[in-house]
Amino acid sequence: MEVERADGRTPNQRRPVVCTRGVLHRAHGSASWAQGGTKVIAAVYGPKAGTKKNENPEKACIEVIWKPKTGQSGKPEREYEMVLKKTLQSICLLNVHPNTTTSIIIQVVNDDGALLPCAINAACSALVDAGIPLKHLAAAICCCMAESGHILLDPSKLEEQNMKAFIYLVFPNSIISVLPEGSLKPGASELGIITSVTHGVMAVDDYFSCLKLGRAAAAELSDFIRNSLKLKAGNDPSKAG
Amino acid sequence: MEQRLANSLIMTVNEKKFIESALLSDIRVDGRRPFDYRNLTIRFGSEDGSSEVQLGQTQVIGFVTGQLTQPYRDRPNEGAFSIYTEFSPMADLSFEPGRPGESAIELGRIVDRGLRESRAVDMESLCVIAGKLVWSIRIDLHIIDNGGNLVDAANIAALAALSTYRRPECTLGGEDGQEVIVHPPDVREPLPLILHHFPVAVTFGFIGKENTVVIDPTHYEESVMGGSMTATLNTNGDVCAIQKAGGDGVLQSVIMQCLRIASVKAGDITSKIKNAVESYNTQRSLKKIKRHNPDQHHSSDVAKNHMERLTVGSDQSVTGSQFNEPDTTNKRNSTLKSFSGGPASWDPYSKGVDGDELRTSLASRVAPVDKQKEESSQVNPETKSSPKSSDTNSLASINKVGSEIKQSKTLKDAVKPKHKRRNKSNAK
Repeated sequence: MEVERADGRTPNQRRPVVCTRGVLHRAHGSASWAQGGTKVIAAVYGPKAGTKKNENPEKACIEVIWKPKTGQSGKPEREYEMVLKKTLQSICLLNVHPNTTTSIIIQVVNDDGALLPCAINAACSALVDAGIPLKHLAAAICCCMAESGHILLDPSKLEEQNMKAFIYLVFPNSIISVLPEGSLKPGASELGIITSVTHGVMAVDDYFSCLKLGRAAAAELSDFIRNSLKLKAGNDPSKAG
Repeated sequence: MEQRLANSLIMTVNEKKFIESALLSDIRVDGRRPFDYRNLTIRFGSEDGSSEVQLGQTQVIGFVTGQLTQPYRDRPNEGAFSIYTEFSPMADLSFEPGRPGESAIELGRIVDRGLRESRAVDMESLCVIAGKLVWSIRIDLHIIDNGGNLVDAANIAALAALSTYRRPECTLGGEDGQEVIVHPPDVREPLPLILHHFPVAVTFGFIGKENTVVIDPTHYEESVMGGSMTATLNTNGDVCAIQKAGGDGVLQSVIMQCLRIASVKAGDITSKIKNAVESYNTQRSLKKIKRHNPDQHHSSDVAKNHMERLTVGSDQSVTGSQFNEPDTTNKRNSTLKSFSGGPASWDPYSKGVDGDELRTSLASRVAPVDKQKEESSQVNPETKSSPKSSDTNSLASINKVGSEIKQSKTLKDAVKPKHKRRNKSNAK
């Protein structure tokens, strides 16, 4: 029961990823993340002094600005900003720099499906590039379900439009432990879900199978992210300021 | 108030004096001479009409899109175009989101004047039905990195994006010959815009009391300079626009010298843009040939390379700010040797691949296999191996036909009601 995809991928195959760090010169941290045709550039400025009006001054504040490719920023952009803000708030260590604001700016360069996961991955890489303290990384992936019940990973724009439902999932990165096997408490290596955004209707069982697929995909993606973020040889001291 | 001051670039007196005194000996802080431009790199995105320009540390991306609208009343047989400039907050700490500031509006006006009033873009070819339907071109310029001299970089991004933009071909048809059918790009080849000439903007900065002139100022020089002038010229020697908004007074002779230098620089930049556009066009036509007509010889080589790379590594990660070609290829070679990415044992083709099937499946791929491109990796090793080729071909064509039907429906719906009303009133 094979499902044919337009670009010849199997249902469990994600598109190849190109991640570039240090793309911009003025920003404190920047990254560009391309997943197949979808490309997003993220820039981080921070920590800056002071928090926004209604934010808690005992913690750091995260501010997200989403710039679409063309046109004015509208309601969908506000929604993306909100989801991104909540996701990044849960991975940043907010108590390290209280009463500060860290701004993350996302610029969409091309949208070919799975835009929000691409942006989350780009923002996470940009935060690492800026040296903002994080609890763990975030690996984001998109799963979709066709009318026939097949589950596909990382759909392109055309596939997304023809699907019954699709989910954006964000997981923390997989744990590499130095402790010997078996000494970890059972359930400690379970990856909790950070974010899940669904569009469309799906049965509960289908949701759980998408979760299983997404978890496996995110674990593999987080290995890639961890390896790629280690590559940079020495930090550029002239960055901040 | 303090927040805003903290965000803007603060230069010490020492830094300012250093820039000025170095210029007295014709030396600039980044090692250039007073009339040297920084390195210009023009790249294009995957879609037609998207460009990415890097001028030293300044980066600008431009997008061109088009849609059918009604023409202006006083110009019934001319198309329209508009420029939207975004000073993205990622370019500089002092750029705030929301309403564009003065410099953003000034930049938009300079680029607009250079293109519109010099009639660089041919407007009459954008007309579909005189008085009723014309193409309206929209240019979006996003400044993503402020390294100084945003006007020149934005202008080049606009020109590059306009040169590679393709608008869909539309013909008149239907019963009364008044219905417009817009052909999607896979049915009929989209058409490029007609550009008569390339108006290139060249910016000069005037620093110090001795009226030292520098071309292409960096953002440090911009915060020190007393005035600036932007001259927009083309290779024919026409001056399309000059902008000198206030600032220090400058001698006439200096202005004339600047214009002479600007015409030389405009020639250089125009040839760079044209070279970049040409190489993009040849790549594009190669892609098209690969898609429709799989050359047996060519795709077998591609298949071999693909197979080799499949066993080495999966995704690619690059660090560094320079996008120069030799740097990235060097990095790619080094990452291949000490690879970071999926393990080499993850061979998606666990059963082995039939050469013919691989060839035809690669030929039917939507995304071309580029030399910079990456490989795909599989998540669950238990799923099957080689993709079926014949079915992907038919599926791809079904998708295309489906989108064609969808497209022609929606655009017709957008156009029709107006026509119907007009025809009724005309009939009366």
